[in-house]
Amino acid sequence: MAKPKIAFFEFTSCEGCQLTVVDSLQDHPELLDAVDIVQFREAMSEKGEDYQIAFIEGSCSRPGDEAKLMEIREKADLVIALGACAHLGGVNAIRNRMPLEDVRKYVYGDKAEWYATYPARPISAVIPIDAVIPGCPIDRNEFIRAVTYLLQGRLPYIPDNPVCIDCKLKGNVCVYQRGMTCLGPITLAGCDAICPTYGEGCDGCRGLISAPNIPALRTVLAEHGMNETDIEAKMTVFLTYQRMELEAAGHDS
Amino acid sequence: MGFKIMPKSALVDWVNHLRAGYRVVGPQPRHGQYVFAEINDPADLALDYPTSVLPPKQYLLPPREVLFNFQNSGMRIEANIKVEPTVILGVHTCDMHAIRLLDHVHNNGYADQHYQTHRANTYLVSIECLKPCMEHSFCKSMGTLTVPEEFDLHLTDLGTAYTVDIGSEKGEKLLEGFDQVWEASDDDYQLLSRVLTEKWPRFSYRLDFDVTELPDILNLSQKSGYWNELGDRCLACGMCTKVCPTCYCFDVSDNVDLTLKNGQRVRTWDSCQVEEFALVAGGHNFRSKRALRQRHRFLRKGKYQYEAFGMVGCVGCGRCAQACLVHITPVETFNELYRRSQRTEPAEVKA
Ligand code: SF4
Ligand code: SF4
Ligand code: SF4
Ligand code: SF4
Ligand code: SF4
Repeated sequence: MAKPKIAFFEFTSCEGCQLTVVDSLQDHPELLDAVDIVQFREAMSEKGEDYQIAFIEGSCSRPGDEAKLMEIREKADLVIALGACAHLGGVNAIRNRMPLEDVRKYVYGDKAEWYATYPARPISAVIPIDAVIPGCPIDRNEFIRAVTYLLQGRLPYIPDNPVCIDCKLKGNVCVYQRGMTCLGPITLAGCDAICPTYGEGCDGCRGLISAPNIPALRTVLAEHGMNETDIEAKMTVFLTYQRMELEAAGHDS
Repeated sequence: MGFKIMPKSALVDWVNHLRAGYRVVGPQPRHGQYVFAEINDPADLALDYPTSVLPPKQYLLPPREVLFNFQNSGMRIEANIKVEPTVILGVHTCDMHAIRLLDHVHNNGYADQHYQTHRANTYLVSIECLKPCMEHSFCKSMGTLTVPEEFDLHLTDLGTAYTVDIGSEKGEKLLEGFDQVWEASDDDYQLLSRVLTEKWPRFSYRLDFDVTELPDILNLSQKSGYWNELGDRCLACGMCTKVCPTCYCFDVSDNVDLTLKNGQRVRTWDSCQVEEFALVAGGHNFRSKRALRQRHRFLRKGKYQYEAFGMVGCVGCGRCAQACLVHITPVETFNELYRRSQRTEPAEVKA
């Protein structure tokens, strides 16, 4: 079988997910025998336009992004969203609940006029995608797993489990019992519950499970001493876009 | 086989003695709770612990276990059954009853080689509970406050010493070559009997009915509206099943490496509370609602397992109640269903 040609692209993001890909190459140099990387600004200067699999990092936050996304979709057989920005709009989507004018002024000051930004969206809002590798940043083991699936001719699959499942597989003491709060019960697992394992509550960077009980978790957060504003803030960092979608569909968020 | 006496001051020496021949695990403090972990320093062992985050079943059914390795070329398969003689210190009696149930499940029908190997190489040193371990436990109601016969050694805390009840030849082996144990005297027997008598009043019955009625109560509750109330509250986080000493459901996956030549078949603890548990080929999910999953969980604990094995599937350890962030507990659930079953009976007769 010919090695699949793969390419990496970035939109509005910090490039941390692509750095994690570079990182995973250190543990898995055999990746370079398995695939042919034709475009990867983070690690090489050549630029090939002939690719089958496109990994896209970053959210779509400017009208100008759309044409490029569509071009990638045209060229690639498979498009994979890489990381929270591409998957969920990322932290960039916090601004989606704020007046855009204010946001532009806050970020760009007197040059606000120069930048044609609009609400940040996951790339799936612009083009159809085939799979996601969630996380901020992505989990390097999950990236390798995903590539293995692709090499087998399958799409990467992530079990629809909450982070609590991974967390309890590791035997962690729940951070709620250590006086902290956590979005693990509504967040998609796959990161090995890395934050609770290191003693921090989950912030939801991998996005929501398919049927999250958000009202019940709000009650839990309130019982653990958070007021409405803090709860809202906690659920805003990574979950704004998904929650606004739920609201638009008439669901609790 | 008779009792021996081991002074508490000998415990550290005994643990070190055991460590020379076995992996020794036991309860240790961790972030305000207790976990079972390998004992590297006997001073970490906390035999008077309340309860543990995960039950000791993790040594019989590891959370994640490679069942076999395979090579695609030539279809080569190599079983991966690790033999690691392990002493588990400080197993509470409720957890011993849970192991009794796990033994039954894994030794009948399709006997589970991995479980059996771990079990054969596991030495169970149980310990008598002299007071309730925490607010959520209800072992007295479930009949699990005395040790079942599966123990190898069973300890009871007499204050300055432990009585050591030898339950098997495996248990005898754990004392071989250790000279700080001696035969119990008449005084020791008297003290033991007093300690055991005095413990019972400290525990209360927490179910409002006798446990033998539980399967029937659950049977009558199949259509109860209570399941919807639980479903509304439940986060479907699965913690209640992960921490349960009698849950043994697992998922199996084949993981190949990047060369696509070698792989491993792995089994991982699963949970009936998560969305995809009852999802089958073709996309049908026969328990797509949290209410149905909660009903399944409690019926399984209190009815199905009793009917299948003659043992109730809940040993009253209270871990699920302690873990559940929305306070769904077996005691509350069983009692509420009992109350409702009492209430609705006359109405059903009328209809
Ligand atoms: S720490 Fe978070 S992820 Fe872990 S069990 Fe608790 S709520 Fe779930
Ligand atoms: S625990 Fe939560 S915040 Fe941390 S990496 Fe996992 S999903 Fe992201
Ligand atoms: S621990 Fe509680 S919230 Fe989580 S699945 Fe079990 S019953 Fe539901
Ligand atoms: S159902 Fe709950 S109380 Fe019963 S054995 Fe399991 S964890 Fe313990
Ligand atoms: S539930 Fe009962 S038997 Fe189990 S640890 Fe607690 S006190 Fe001991």
